[in-house]
Amino acid sequence: MTKQSRRTEILEQRPVNLDGFVEEWPEVGMVAMDSPYDPEPSVRVEDGLIVEMDGKPRAEFDFLDQFIADHAIDVATTEQAMAHPAVEIARMLVDPAVSRGEVLDISRGLTPAKLLEVVKTMNVVEMMMALQKMRARRTTANQAHSTSARDNPVQVAAEAAEASLRGFRELETTLGVVRYAPLVAIALQVGALAGTPGVLTQCALEEATELELGMRGITAYAETISVYGTEPVFCDGDDTPWSKAFLASAYASRGIKMRFTSGTGSEVQMGNADGKSMLYLEIRCILVTKGAGVQGLQNGSISCIGVPGAVPAGIRAVLAENLIASTVDLECASGNDQSFSHSDMRRTARLLPQLLPGTDFVCSGYSAVPNYDNMFAGSNLDSTDYDDWNVIQRDLQVDGALRHVPEAEILAARGRAARALQGVFAQLGLPAITEKEIEAATYAHGSKELPLRDVLEDLKAAQSVMDRGITGLDIIKALEASGFTDMAHSLLAVLRQRVSGDLLHTSAILTPELETLSAVNDANDYAGPGTGYRPSGARWEEMKRLRHVVSARNPEQEVG
Amino acid sequence: MTTLSQVDLDPDRDYPLAARRPELLKTPTGKRLDELTMQAVLSGDLAPEDLRIAPETLRLQAQIADRVGRPQLAQNFRRAAELTALPDELVLSIYNALRPRASTKQELTDIAEQLERDYSASLCAQLVREAADVYERRNILA
Repeated sequence: MTKQSRRTEILEQRPVNLDGFVEEWPEVGMVAMDSPYDPEPSVRVEDGLIVEMDGKPRAEFDFLDQFIADHAIDVATTEQAMAHPAVEIARMLVDPAVSRGEVLDISRGLTPAKLLEVVKTMNVVEMMMALQKMRARRTTANQAHSTSARDNPVQVAAEAAEASLRGFRELETTLGVVRYAPLVAIALQVGALAGTPGVLTQCALEEATELELGMRGITAYAETISVYGTEPVFCDGDDTPWSKAFLASAYASRGIKMRFTSGTGSEVQMGNADGKSMLYLEIRCILVTKGAGVQGLQNGSISCIGVPGAVPAGIRAVLAENLIASTVDLECASGNDQSFSHSDMRRTARLLPQLLPGTDFVCSGYSAVPNYDNMFAGSNLDSTDYDDWNVIQRDLQVDGALRHVPEAEILAARGRAARALQGVFAQLGLPAITEKEIEAATYAHGSKELPLRDVLEDLKAAQSVMDRGITGLDIIKALEASGFTDMAHSLLAVLRQRVSGDLLHTSAILTPELETLSAVNDANDYAGPGTGYRPSGARWEEMKRLRHVVSARNPEQEVG
Repeated sequence: MTTLSQVDLDPDRDYPLAARRPELLKTPTGKRLDELTMQAVLSGDLAPEDLRIAPETLRLQAQIADRVGRPQLAQNFRRAAELTALPDELVLSIYNALRPRASTKQELTDIAEQLERDYSASLCAQLVREAADVYERRNILA
């Protein structure tokens, strides 16, 4: 055996060397954003119709091309917009003296290949500058996953309460055993209410089931509405741009907020990338979303992050997808939601391009549970990273939308969530939650520390929730009857939002005061130094607090 | 009397509607926002149908979307306004019919006709007809 240096031995043991890296292979789409097979930008309009796009005549359009040409691109301005050199548009994106609105006037007429050409001229720092301006909502926010390896509803409720208290404005759950969904979705909703009011919840499921839970008012919004960048993969996902556009209108018709989901790498992972770069295909997804009239998109590779993460400039391409979603005026829930690297340095480096400029939701799934409980296969950040996150926010004075919360408040909220769920389950005739479970859920770090539930009984009960037609109103009544009046009121306030439709607008969230904040009434007004959103006042004071901060005058004393 | 379709909204002044223009909002069952109270929930006066959005409200929100430069979002709200009249099961079944290789051209055409005839849902009908044409050209009909 060849003799190895001690240095090499030590480097070999570094966590980053457990990550997978692969050469580019453009012919099968294993290339982030720079493929010789991506089309050249072009557009031609005749009689108000796009008859050629990115080198392809209309007769050869696949269904994505046609949907994008007819629904996403502004026919009236496209030829003018496309006449701008890519580098000029990129400079407008970076230049704080050019307003977001001025960029939108051009971006609404750009084709997929042109948008690709624009971001290819930009390095990551320029992209971050641009994202800071192009993010739709002025104030940043964050989203968490609350799931359980055992689909334990008591755990999901307690974790939702803590996440809600820590500052997340959206919470998402999903299942190991899909049939558990109704119980876990109820637990997520009830738990979120025990933290702060106005947190929106969702349960990631097959499209039709997800819509049904939403229609019943058991969940408040939806996100797992996947779109793909090639026709064969879109069909493998059992959808088309038209079925997805119809689904988008279906959600809006019930007053329910929703966004689509896509990401680089999904097409190559599903074996049909049509020999195009990951980013080119993702831009097609972004424009399908825009054309469907959906307010926003969860992107940034999402569950496929291992694919762009393995190729050169892959993480740059992931930032570029977030930037393009924002540049075509969509809400962007910007990934950072899937286990991606064994290296703490690398997963932090992957996070900063979204955290520093700020996005509508920095993570579209920060794991509020330890990653072993994360049923989305683990996130880039989990519940053991809370203190690191809070310190990074404080070090850089960058608002990642979370805060440190003292232990006593967390325990109170977790306990209250579990107890409220106990009450709701009792009122709805669902399997009992014991005092022992409440105690365990309050103090646990993960599902391993919770008593096992009778899964068969739970699954029978979950089915009965569907069969009996239980709705959000039944949860309100059950909360009220169990003495959790404030939580009942908060849930009614969230459901009442459906009637007004205010949450249907781009980047909408509810504040803890139950006010709607969206890109309509909180539009990003960044225009360079001294403008835009910067943490200050009470929020900055809150960000200064950490688990351990000592008094400057008396280093023996913690001021926490 | 001014009808809702004639209301001229200014996004800066009127959004969010629930806070700024509650008088414009009614449920499809005719209830005002301030009637959606806890007392009404507990006394059983509030049904799930009372927590739905009315087509008029979606058209008001479409106006706001248009005025802030989001025509696609506005169009989605207008399609949604049409779909408020459809029962949940029908909405789900049309969605399933629009999946690839799920329907023949005739079946999609029939859905479009039903949408127009029974629900005056001409925008949604147009979307379904457009799908039927594209599916035929791309060979993804049943």
